Amino acid sequence: MDLVLRAIVVFFLIFVITRVVGRRELGKLEPFDLIMLVVIGDLVQQGVTQSDNSITGVFLVIGVICVLTVAMSFVGFRFPRTRPWLGGEPLVLVEDGKVIERNLRRQRLSVEEVAAQARLQQIAHLSEIRWAVLETSGEISFIPKQG
Amino acid sequence: MSGYPDHLDPERHRDTKGREHQPWIRRAVLTLFTAVAVLGLLDVFGQRSSTGRAATAAATLEVRGPTTVRGGLLFQERITVTARRDISTPRLVLSKGWADGLQINTIEPQPGSESTRDGRLVLSYDDLPAGQRLIVYVDYQVNPTHVGNTDMGLELDERTTPLVVLPRTLTTFP
Repeated sequence: MDLVLRAIVVFFLIFVITRVVGRRELGKLEPFDLIMLVVIGDLVQQGVTQSDNSITGVFLVIGVICVLTVAMSFVGFRFPRTRPWLGGEPLVLVEDGKVIERNLRRQRLSVEEVAAQARLQQIAHLSEIRWAVLETSGEISFIPKQG
Repeated sequence: MSGYPDHLDPERHRDTKGREHQPWIRRAVLTLFTAVAVLGLLDVFGQRSSTGRAATAAATLEVRGPTTVRGGLLFQERITVTARRDISTPRLVLSKGWADGLQINTIEPQPGSESTRDGRLVLSYDDLPAGQRLIVYVDYQVNPTHVGNTDMGLELDERTTPLVVLPRTLTTFP
């Protein structure tokens, strides 16, 4: 029972953390982020399983995490009003070539970072952008102006 | 506005109407995490050692060890008995919490005999002359499933006569 409770607590802790740290940090993985990810994984494992090295324990923990993941997904699918809470919402960053500073500040993003992401999509100038949207995954999607 | 990307609403996704509370929720949760970290620095979750002391005309009883621990941690309790007069067959009477939910790795020096009294653990040592000290080290590991407060009270007896009583509690976080 203890193992199941630990897995549930850690699952929701990670869920809250990923929702709180913001998409800016989650959308890209730099070397530091990658190392932090491994470190957090190790810390989480110790907190969940402690000294339990059994296959039964592995089944229990993985089972709980799988069930909770599917349950969260189902809740989001079945009850649309929960989606903003569970997965966040898109945010428009640029419209008609104009940067919406307030929304950038909200996500701790700079114009330079948006411009860098635009260049990766072969867009040289922000003025060429019809819409730039920060998606719930943390990625920025660009819709260029027509013509 | 017509022509807006599908499933995007300018009021909600550009002007963030109805989403004004979201940054505040994020800030509140981050504040909570910060508070937890600060409480950790302030030793609220263990395991800094502290000393508890009780004395009578017969002896001084002192226990040094953490009063707050977390599951799986290793820690040590050090019991010091200082005799103010000759004590015949000093006995340390340990409350249930000294053994319950904890793995005892070692007790040094080992007592001459161990017994139980009303559910408490009794460790008997050799006679202690006035002015002499008996120091007992108990090394532990917290059972990962153990949570809550336990009574770690301690009593020094001369045979079956209580000389000094030292109440103490151990709090275990999951």
